[in-house]
Amino acid sequence: MTHPTHQRTRRGRRATQLIGVLFAFTLIAAACASDDDDDAAATTAAAAATTAAAPATTEADPLEGTKVTVFGPESSDEEAGALRDALDHFAAQTGIEITYTGARDAADQINAQAAGGNPPDIFIFPQPGKLADFARDGHLIALPDDVIASMNEHWTPAWTAFGDVDGTQYGIPNKSDLKSLVWYKPALFESKGYGVPGTWDELKALSAEMIANGDTPFCIGIESGPATGWTFTDWVEDLMLRFHTPEDYDAWVAGDLAFSSDEVSGVFNEVLDLWNTPGMVFAAGGSIAATPFGDNGQPLVDNDCMMHRQASFYAAFIPEGTVFADGSADAVDTFYFPSVKGDKPVLGAGTLVGAFRDAPEVWEVMKFFGSSEYAEVRQRAQTERKGGGLSGFLSAATNQDPSVYQPLEQSFLSILQNADVVRFDGSDLMPAEVGAGTFWTEGTAVVNGDKNVAEATQAIDESWPR
Amino acid sequence: MTALWGAFAGVVIAVGASAAVFWVTHRLFGLVERRWAVVTATSGVLAGGAAGAVASGLRSGADSTPLLAGSQLVWIVGGAAVFGLAGAAVGLLRPPSAKRTSAMQSRLRALTFVGPAMLFVALGLIIPLLRTIYLSLFDKAGTGFRGLANYGDIFTNAQSLDLSGWAGIFGSQLFWGSVILFAFALAIALARGRRRGVAADFSASTVGIGIGGGLLLSFAVFANLRGTVMNNLWWVVAVTFLSTALGLLAAVIADRTKRESFAKSLIFLPMAISFVGAGIIWRFMYIARPPQKSQTGLLNAIWVWFGTLRPSTGGAWIAVAVLATATAMLTALCAFGVRRRQSALAIGSATAAIPLLWLIYRFIGPGVGGSILGPNGEPIAGTILFVQESPFNNVWLMVVLIWIQTGFAMVILSAAIKAVPSDLIEAARVDGADERQVFFGVTLPTIVPTITVVMTAMIVLVMKVFDIVRVMTNGNFGTQVIANEMWQRSFTEFNLGLGSALAVVLFLGVVPVMGLNIRRMQRGE
Amino acid sequence: MSSAVDAAEAEQPAGSGSAVRERQGPDRIGRAVYRFLRSIPVWVLWLMVIIWSVPTGSLFLNSFRHRDDQRASGWWTSFTEGNWTLENYTDVLSSGAQTGGLWQALLNSFAIAIPATIIPIAIAALAAYAFAWIPFRGREWIFIGTVSLLALPNQVALLPLLQMFSGGAHWSIPGTEIVVTLIPDFSLAGTATAVWLTHTAFALPFAIFLLHNYISTLPGELFEAARIDGADHFTIFWRIVVPLSVPALAAFAIFQFLWTWNDYLIALTMLGAAGENYPATIKIASMAGEFGLREHLLSAGAFVQAGVPMLVFFFLQRFFVRGLLAGSVKS
Repeated sequence: MTHPTHQRTRRGRRATQLIGVLFAFTLIAAACASDDDDDAAATTAAAAATTAAAPATTEADPLEGTKVTVFGPESSDEEAGALRDALDHFAAQTGIEITYTGARDAADQINAQAAGGNPPDIFIFPQPGKLADFARDGHLIALPDDVIASMNEHWTPAWTAFGDVDGTQYGIPNKSDLKSLVWYKPALFESKGYGVPGTWDELKALSAEMIANGDTPFCIGIESGPATGWTFTDWVEDLMLRFHTPEDYDAWVAGDLAFSSDEVSGVFNEVLDLWNTPGMVFAAGGSIAATPFGDNGQPLVDNDCMMHRQASFYAAFIPEGTVFADGSADAVDTFYFPSVKGDKPVLGAGTLVGAFRDAPEVWEVMKFFGSSEYAEVRQRAQTERKGGGLSGFLSAATNQDPSVYQPLEQSFLSILQNADVVRFDGSDLMPAEVGAGTFWTEGTAVVNGDKNVAEATQAIDESWPR
Repeated sequence: MTALWGAFAGVVIAVGASAAVFWVTHRLFGLVERRWAVVTATSGVLAGGAAGAVASGLRSGADSTPLLAGSQLVWIVGGAAVFGLAGAAVGLLRPPSAKRTSAMQSRLRALTFVGPAMLFVALGLIIPLLRTIYLSLFDKAGTGFRGLANYGDIFTNAQSLDLSGWAGIFGSQLFWGSVILFAFALAIALARGRRRGVAADFSASTVGIGIGGGLLLSFAVFANLRGTVMNNLWWVVAVTFLSTALGLLAAVIADRTKRESFAKSLIFLPMAISFVGAGIIWRFMYIARPPQKSQTGLLNAIWVWFGTLRPSTGGAWIAVAVLATATAMLTALCAFGVRRRQSALAIGSATAAIPLLWLIYRFIGPGVGGSILGPNGEPIAGTILFVQESPFNNVWLMVVLIWIQTGFAMVILSAAIKAVPSDLIEAARVDGADERQVFFGVTLPTIVPTITVVMTAMIVLVMKVFDIVRVMTNGNFGTQVIANEMWQRSFTEFNLGLGSALAVVLFLGVVPVMGLNIRRMQRGE
Repeated sequence: MSSAVDAAEAEQPAGSGSAVRERQGPDRIGRAVYRFLRSIPVWVLWLMVIIWSVPTGSLFLNSFRHRDDQRASGWWTSFTEGNWTLENYTDVLSSGAQTGGLWQALLNSFAIAIPATIIPIAIAALAAYAFAWIPFRGREWIFIGTVSLLALPNQVALLPLLQMFSGGAHWSIPGTEIVVTLIPDFSLAGTATAVWLTHTAFALPFAIFLLHNYISTLPGELFEAARIDGADHFTIFWRIVVPLSVPALAAFAIFQFLWTWNDYLIALTMLGAAGENYPATIKIASMAGEFGLREHLLSAGAFVQAGVPMLVFFFLQRFFVRGLLAGSVKS
């Protein structure tokens, strides 16, 4: 040995210390785990106690104790919490153990889960296009007749059609968003002498008037992390519905009407001409592409811009303490995104549930998701969790109790239910390559001035899977 | 909660079982020379049990009916018994020569050491790699054979590789800056060489200037040759060099300070923050807001504040005074360096003075920072869109990774510096070497292998960069990289063919780096 | 750097511009500045520390501000205007968006990160020792092959592994209807075990690369001496290699712990809809909600998440000590 022994022992001690530290970590973690285990046991016991205390709804239900897992993209405390409240409500009635897991990237992740052989029982699809892909790949199970009958009691054909894949029903709508809305402050409009525009031309004239008066008409931002660009696609879709027929819209969404056609690129130009008008948009560093879409609530409240076109759920992004549609001076309200031809088409969005497992308990939960009861319970829970204001939840299910909705939300519902034409957000219907890919990225590129409309629309067409 | 217990039980069982298997095989293989029959019998039992398990698991057809009757246990025990007896018989009847058993023993011993790792690597990496190569030859659904068409798609696409802007390289300031630096380095090397009587003498300072020039040149090239592949290369060059250099700097200096662990912890902190956190952090650094509003992003706030320093308001004169003082000092230092023939000092201070002079010019003239003049002549913020303005938004994204990875380089290099034998350093100090000489003469040569390790690891890691791009731009604004493209193709669009081809391209791009490194390592041995 | 300039400025007489012109000036001032420059490295370190901390510090201060404040003004304005709040932290810690809440998630993170750190280290150290010091045929090629796998993007291995965890591995013999079960279905998908097994496989190439680099530079004469004393490979490994490799083991342990603790993608893929097993990364990221409605919580969440790795770093940093190899390495 070339080294003195005392050094060897010191080395040995160091190794022992390292192992000791690692071991200590394991012990600490294990100790914590046992603590928490007790808590969990306690809560389970408490839950059991409440179930027992609840009215005896279970007379040996055959589904008692069966398990259903639900997975979806809604993951914040309010949304996922309210969703879970609604499921708990149903679980208490039937004895089915329902677990809901929400993850922000669930919509991307479901591909891997299905292909990896580990799908949930029910997935909440944010895009009908994805539901159709899964149905065609044989992952989803077609709805049995009794489930379809139950769904038809609560939803109009305009909405159930989104869950229909090549003539077979796979999905049930369970949430609706209204996209054709413009947020504004009525009192401010009144004091400045602006009127709510009824047509697209009136909207453009109003904007010009605002610019002439030194006001900035619009707040627009399309930055949204990995989903940057979707705000732009919403504008294009809304105007497609207005400038052209619903049939053209359907053909476009199905890939039969090219992006580079005069119809679609004309709408691109219409949007960009408006956005690029000097003084039109209040945006970060003058760049719409750099403005986070969630940051547009503050300037609207601060009167930095007069209008903001965004979906019904945007209420939640408007700063806390803002009042909605109560007639006060600072109240924020909405008007219908004006039409071009005088009709009233509506752009909607929402989620659909699809089942990966064929079992009675799964179908019971699916039925519940498509019921107005689900919408009512969830809406009540979400409003409560929000602590007042608008909940951000909306369901176009019929025969709901309207009292669960606030006045502004009721006006959204009446727009949804009285529309001549309802079309789903087109990018959600297109194949993922386009709808969650090039439509967003190329759209962002034109907005940012990196490409012109002809280049961008051609690139989108090329990416369409044939 | 049961899952958590399951995890801990899994750990205990896995560790215990692995240790037991390791110990038993280790002992068993020790018997190869003396008790050959025991070894063959035991191997027979193991092989028979495994064969029995596989046999009982045989399934046939779509309804997967078991092919063989009988319970699994019977098959396993039966197989073990039959094979074990056969093994014992073979071992007893035909013992091999002593020379062969000894060779076998050493190979089997090696197997106990390498085996567990190989098992994980085979299941977790090699099988997926083969599957990926296979899938890359097929279409989106993985059924139609496409040959190499996916690879063709990648390289003929202007999004991946767009070399049309090559002429712009020669028009860029970066290019001419790099030419000046190269010329500088060469001039010094020649001058030093003439003094020493050789053609050219490259010292640490000339190499340093040369590397700086190389970085500028690469930036000039990558800013003009665009596309996903070029972006990846840009990331590799910039992040690898800068992170390693800054990590080395921090490790070396921290080694000498008293508050070493405090300083190192703070530089290391970014590594401890998740990518989600890092995305939010840099969003708050880079964000721009409308010019009329107060800025919430720190960098734009500073930039806009600079813009308010104008000669008319007096703010700029203070800045100019400070800058002028600094320039004067650098000039003095340069003169001192020239007289003392300390070329590094002279060149360094002269180089440092150039940006200061430029700043003075900007402050007196057009102004520094966001300084659009408003209608009433008041300065209005002109913000920088760090994330949106291509191509240099790539650099701002790289800054995030450099910020993170410097801690990585620092920790490994710091461990290497600590391992430099202190008696060597003491000996050098006794010989009268100063800190700089100790570093360049003793520390640096000893840690060069570690620097290579760090740079290799960094190249591999940066080549696969994904999270930052995904969180901050998702490939928009000309910042796409291969790994994010692969993610989008494979998981958003579920185009397994194209996604797999991209993965193979990424893999093949890194393999040469690894190969070179291993060659070097083996030459060193 | 600026403080360096300030201090140097204080040292020199007024009218520095004229000093340059004087014949003696440059030398005197130059010498003073030069003396100062020699102490600069320490300043550079602190400058680096400040630059490196500013982004994190910004987020830290922002994590004590309300959502609308974060969006409307910079954190520095809160020094004058106040309005600090702990609400983000209480919201994060009491979040019920997932089964079990955040505390459960942190425990899950431990359940994943601890085995995913210890097990690869043990396996890789054994392999690295064999690659460095046990001669066997094909050693170089196996080593090169293993380390080259470092270049494999992990994402491509996720799907095959998930299939293996959720259904085992089966091979249908071509041309026949017979299916051979190679790996039975252990139903690991959705469990923490699947996550740390995956981490273990992904970690090995880098661990072997790093540890081999270190272990192969250990002085061979130590092993020779031990072998003459009759020690076998295992004894040499346990009594000599492991104690001498403590800094390398600690360095790898730190990184592996960090990577697994902060991992998001592998855990999400392996766990899928098993929300009760989610580690803290997924739960915190998900708190922001589908459209990033509560993104402001991520500021507080990032610090809750980073606390444990920092503690690990502080603990293990003690093992980078000078002189571990003193006297045993030849120059």
